Amino acid sequence: MRNALGIVTAALALAACHEIPQDAPKPYAGKEDVKPYAGDLFKGDKAKFEETLTQRSNYQNEYLRTGSAKQP
Amino acid sequence: MARMKFICDAERCIECNACATACKNEHEVPWGVNRRRLVTVNDGVPGERSISVACMHCTDAPCMAVCPVDCFYRTEDQIVLHDKDLCIGCGYCFYACPFGAPQFPQAGAFGLRGKMDKCTYCAGGPEENFSAEEFRKYGRNRIAEGKLPACAEMCSTKALLAGDHDAITRIYKTRVTTRGKGDEIWGWSMAYGGSSKLADQPVGAST
Repeated sequence: MRNALGIVTAALALAACHEIPQDAPKPYAGKEDVKPYAGDLFKGDKAKFEETLTQRSNYQNEYLRTGSAKQP
Repeated sequence: MARMKFICDAERCIECNACATACKNEHEVPWGVNRRRLVTVNDGVPGERSISVACMHCTDAPCMAVCPVDCFYRTEDQIVLHDKDLCIGCGYCFYACPFGAPQFPQAGAFGLRGKMDKCTYCAGGPEENFSAEEFRKYGRNRIAEGKLPACAEMCSTKALLAGDHDAITRIYKTRVTTRGKGDEIWGWSMAYGGSSKLADQPVGAST
């Protein structure tokens, strides 16, 4: 009887001795966002959307206009 | 899948504040809230450098980790956004952010702190695209228009680059090879992990 009580007490005492994971990805609790390519402009075409952005990114490279770049 | 990032080239930034002005104008950001700002180090002495700083949309964003109401989310393009309807203005994200990006409007007595406001990478927020509500809360949604953030597109010297990781590291690599200096990308390892050295960036492959 005493042994059983001891085991139960030890189990209860050790129940709090665990680590709650701190690095688990937390769920987003807010409203769902609409995809940027969902509108009339891209009509859900993700490939076209990404192509447009890549093209736009390349406009930032002035060496494409001047043609004076050294190739890496 | 695109991974949208910012690069600020300290060799090129001339501290003109066009990025900060473009941001203010594009989103009609109120007084006291600066989604983007200029930081100058060694001001007035040889070796002076300026950096344009805003939310870097970190890979492992600390603001997301500390938010007690879980109002942050990440879009498909790895842009970190938040829901203002959920934000309680506690300011934890401000303390967690290494770039000082979260801003709080103070429009009341006793230093009342409003809901957090930060750079949205011109991608709006969790409202209907191009709606008046989206503009009021988060500003213009240029990404859904197929455009890049206004700050980068307005940058006169193209010190500030925005876009997909592969595209902007390729541009930066060409630039560094041509001028022969400035190999280190400011804030890169802090925001996106890994090395800040351009030579270590896997150009042409998504990371």
